[in-house]
Amino acid sequence: MTMLPGVQRVGEFEWQVPVGYIPGMRVPGLFFLSEALAGTLEEGAVKQLANVATMPGIVRQSLAMPDIHWGYGFPIGGVAAFSLDEGVISPGGVGFDINCGVRLLATPLREGDLGKRRELVERLFGAIPTGVGGKSALRLSNRELDRMLLEGSSWAVREGYGIDEDIRMCEQEGCLKEADPAAVSQKARQRGMPQSGTLGSGNHFLEVQVVREVYHPEAARAFGISQGQVCIMIHCGSRGLGHQVCTDHLRILEAATKKYRITLPDRQLACAPIDSPEGRAYFGAMAASANYAWANRQVIMHYTRKVLEELYGVAYKDMHLVYDVAHNVAKMEEHLVGGTRMKVCVHRKGATRAFGPGAPDLPAAYSSVGQPVIIPGSMGSPSFLLNGTSGAMEKTFGSTCHGAGRVMSRTQAKKRLTGREIRDTLGKEGIIVKAPSDAAIADEAPEVYKPSMEVVRVVHEVGISRLVARFEPLGVIKG
Amino acid sequence: MSIEELDHTADAKVRVKAGTLEELFSEAGRALMQVMYGRPGKDGRTHPVVVSGDDLESLMHAYLSELLFITEVEGLVISGADLHIGEGIVEGVVMGEPFSMEAHNAGRGVKGISYSGLSIVHDQESYILDVIFDV
Repeated sequence: MTMLPGVQRVGEFEWQVPVGYIPGMRVPGLFFLSEALAGTLEEGAVKQLANVATMPGIVRQSLAMPDIHWGYGFPIGGVAAFSLDEGVISPGGVGFDINCGVRLLATPLREGDLGKRRELVERLFGAIPTGVGGKSALRLSNRELDRMLLEGSSWAVREGYGIDEDIRMCEQEGCLKEADPAAVSQKARQRGMPQSGTLGSGNHFLEVQVVREVYHPEAARAFGISQGQVCIMIHCGSRGLGHQVCTDHLRILEAATKKYRITLPDRQLACAPIDSPEGRAYFGAMAASANYAWANRQVIMHYTRKVLEELYGVAYKDMHLVYDVAHNVAKMEEHLVGGTRMKVCVHRKGATRAFGPGAPDLPAAYSSVGQPVIIPGSMGSPSFLLNGTSGAMEKTFGSTCHGAGRVMSRTQAKKRLTGREIRDTLGKEGIIVKAPSDAAIADEAPEVYKPSMEVVRVVHEVGISRLVARFEPLGVIKG
Repeated sequence: MSIEELDHTADAKVRVKAGTLEELFSEAGRALMQVMYGRPGKDGRTHPVVVSGDDLESLMHAYLSELLFITEVEGLVISGADLHIGEGIVEGVVMGEPFSMEAHNAGRGVKGISYSGLSIVHDQESYILDVIFDV
């Protein structure tokens, strides 16, 4: 197999980017990849992994999961932890779509109960605003938005968009306590207000799925999942509010980078010491955006439950939230570093928290098996449920992959297949796709992603999470 | 003047060429609209724009970020701009048409303008901008 020059193999699926790969690296880089995926690795992504290793206060390694690909700032799939006294916080390690994430809703329906499938997809598409320019039915005042930014999921539940149990089934109970709405600009508010409860565009989606195979019966039982069951997966983030927060604070942190005399190989990695006014302001605004995203997914799940209730007569409370995970976030967590427990700021950019059994912040029902890890496939391809492991706690600051990872550019994708062709092909496989335009479908064809099965196989083999179940799509609404 | 979409696996990478800096900024705005809506807007309405930055790249980043805000909040699909570019400042007006779901649904949402990969070079004939939009 061919690997990029300068990268060293240190395990069957583990590759090291040694200090010195680029000047200024403080720690080595480490990424996980199988031989089958080696051909998908971009040099730009490895360079970005090395860039992260130059940042002040980085602890142990600059990491990337097997869905690593070329992004901006951090590579997508990148994970890095920074010490609180010497480390930095950077929007380049979180991304524009703060708390882009996924939640999985389990229904009591079996595949055979799911008549009227086209009507279901049409009704979901009608109930949930999607795509560029999709506007929400919610009308928030500045004061309500503040509460949403402070409270996240629990705000939405209190407003009638869910049940109490939903809150416990979110990473961090759907709320970062450090949220500071005062650090969210008026511009971000203006963008966020009309968009709460909307799906957005790009790779965001809502999918009707069936549990096709269970690999780990004990964990599946704990998560309330069984073969043949119909589930709904919701993938979206903090919409224009989070995007504007990233843009605003990138500018502030660029000035801070100069102020604190931090040398960086990429302006998108603009950062400030965690305990500086600029660092605290970004963290407060990012946490507020993360809470907005949790509330957003909660509202979308509510609309989904209402459709299922009306169409199939399923009781609202009988559709339980399995879990909600964040993909793009920075959080204060305690980890074992060099034999000592220390608090660090973990950045996950296109990576999922994968806390193992007994870890803090897990619902009691999941404590013995570890947290659910939800890995969406690309449109038309399988998605996966995994569980967090002690291996992740030891190797990756409790992190694993977040999805399949693109291998083909959007320009190439559009040259190969039209949206209509893709929709027809998926239709023949029994998958109904509904999107605002065919262009949106062409962008996200299954072929443009790494095979999701191979990505999760790697994290399973490495032991940073374990396969629990595979889901296959029956219907997709795309933004 | 030209707008070309280059290959980028995750995001939208665009190369814009123009004879003057003013044209480069105007064309860059059209490129952003092309990615977001499938095509730039048509003239009709105007909206003021003013941004500041320490260098040319920062100015471009601030300008395109401002356009992203204007298009999303004002619902204006931008067709071009009439700008004055001074020391550390870009000011003027952008032109465009109101967003409509039917006419502007062939693109993809842009989340932000990336600093990674943003470059402006000037040769004897033209200015060339490379920029990556997070989609």
